[in-house]
Amino acid sequence: MNANLGKLLRNKRGITPVLSNLLLTIVAVAAMALATTATYVITSNLRDTMGERVVIEDVWFNNLTNNIDIYLRNVGRVLVRFSGVYVNRTKSSFTGNLSLEIGEHGWLNISKSWSPSDLFYIDIVTTRGTHVGGYYNAA
Amino acid sequence: MRLKRDRRAISNVIVVMLSLILIVIVVTNVVLWSYQMNQLDWERMHEELKVIGVSRVSGTEFTFENAGALTCHLVALWVDNSTYHQRYDMNLFINSGDIALYVREDITLPDKPYSVRIVTERGNIAIYSNDPT
Repeated sequence: MNANLGKLLRNKRGITPVLSNLLLTIVAVAAMALATTATYVITSNLRDTMGERVVIEDVWFNNLTNNIDIYLRNVGRVLVRFSGVYVNRTKSSFTGNLSLEIGEHGWLNISKSWSPSDLFYIDIVTTRGTHVGGYYNAA
Repeated sequence: MRLKRDRRAISNVIVVMLSLILIVIVVTNVVLWSYQMNQLDWERMHEELKVIGVSRVSGTEFTFENAGALTCHLVALWVDNSTYHQRYDMNLFINSGDIALYVREDITLPDKPYSVRIVTERGNIAIYSNDPT
């Protein structure tokens, strides 16, 4: 009985294939998990970028603050975050709604002085790279 | 017998199949989403809304015409002049080809010149201007 047990414990011939199979399985599962995650991330990013739609409801050259106030609406299918505002190709600071949920709307206040009859090209950029804007004349 | 024991090609087949499944998932997802967004843009392009009249009654009466082929959902109304920009929420559906009267007791028109703008849910804007110039 003891002799048989000792023989069994010394017999290590079957362990190497088990270990190699186990390692291969772990590597294969890890690779698939990585590939699936990458696929998910790439697809999500593409979908988000394609689904961004923003419209400018109103541009107000505000006499009271001497700033430019812009009212935006998210008409797309994803949340929109604003990363920059360019007035006549120059980056301008802004306050207000930095992000808009689907269907949400709100003001974006641009710190930029203006005079009546000035013409501005306003370009609002989102974090995903969507541009919205156009030429606006200060009334 | 030798063929039955030979399993060298199976792993390759499995890898190719899994890769194909991933590629199909990516392409299907992107194509479907792209189709949905194209549909959204198409609908937006084919919306045709007009503000054909604004008049003072007890409050203000607006007349809208949907000249497009799709039902419009109006979500916002703006009354602007040079010193005053006021937004009003609204919720009005106008069927294709219909003319709708919309009365708001809470809106008082400013002095001329002013403009009235309506915004649809799809993001289109129709403007009515009462500027004599």
